[in-house]
Amino acid sequence: MVMMVKMTKSEEIGCDDCFDEMNEFAEMELAGKSPERAMPLVEEHINRCRDCKEEYEALVEAMKSLKDTS
Amino acid sequence: MNKKRVKSYRTNKEWVKALTNPVDEHAVQRLREMLVQGLKPALHKYVDRELEQFVEDVAQDALVKILDNIQSFRGESKLITWAMKIAVREGLNELRRKRYNDISIEDLKPEHNGREVFSLLYSSKELGPDRSLHEAQLMEAMNKYIEEDLSAKQKKALQAVVIEGLPASIVVKQMNTNRNALYKVIHDARLKLKNRFELEGINPDEMLRKM
Repeated sequence: MVMMVKMTKSEEIGCDDCFDEMNEFAEMELAGKSPERAMPLVEEHINRCRDCKEEYEALVEAMKSLKDTS
Repeated sequence: MNKKRVKSYRTNKEWVKALTNPVDEHAVQRLREMLVQGLKPALHKYVDRELEQFVEDVAQDALVKILDNIQSFRGESKLITWAMKIAVREGLNELRRKRYNDISIEDLKPEHNGREVFSLLYSSKELGPDRSLHEAQLMEAMNKYIEEDLSAKQKKALQAVVIEGLPASIVVKQMNTNRNALYKVIHDARLKLKNRFELEGINPDEMLRKM
């Protein structure tokens, strides 16, 4: 928690904005691009918010399985 | 042999048209199949039994939301990725509801904060021989600032989500709020604590390096 406090920024996006952009972020990752560079605020939110991180990882897993069988 | 031709929906435009009223039932069925196919590997580690039935139910509930919100799809990804994120959230929220059904945030015990506040990021094996003193100082400062600077709501949110690790989607129900607002409450709390550390001239990095 100490580091979480230390790494706090005045500008952070919330869960709604993260959810809005999560599909685009996931596609960039699956395409081997660097979503963390294009969308750093989403990356930071995912690393801070346990629920969003869990949802993001599950989304990537789900899309990988569709990609594997398509 | 009379083989039925299966429709395919290659573009977002085709998908949106097919999923907009009057909906094309073939498209709904195809989307349901894809959701089920993706949800199984995505959720299997969280589901103890009857995965098949669980993902079927989640896909069905998600489909209702997807069809209700199809006009809000902005096309910045493939439609299936957008739909899958809705389904994944639906499934994980359902699992969280089941798992944390009996937990009340009112029962959480703030007196254990100190140790847990610290231990969230640093396990004892990572610390040096002088750790006790610095650890105690940092814990004491953190607890003091939490007590002095944060509102009751901020303390409750921090306790439930950050210290106890409860899912935000569970906490919001009990605090009568939504995830975005809860995140903001915790963000404001973190900012207050960060500012207080700076004001007091405490550099957590420096203290941690001494441990």
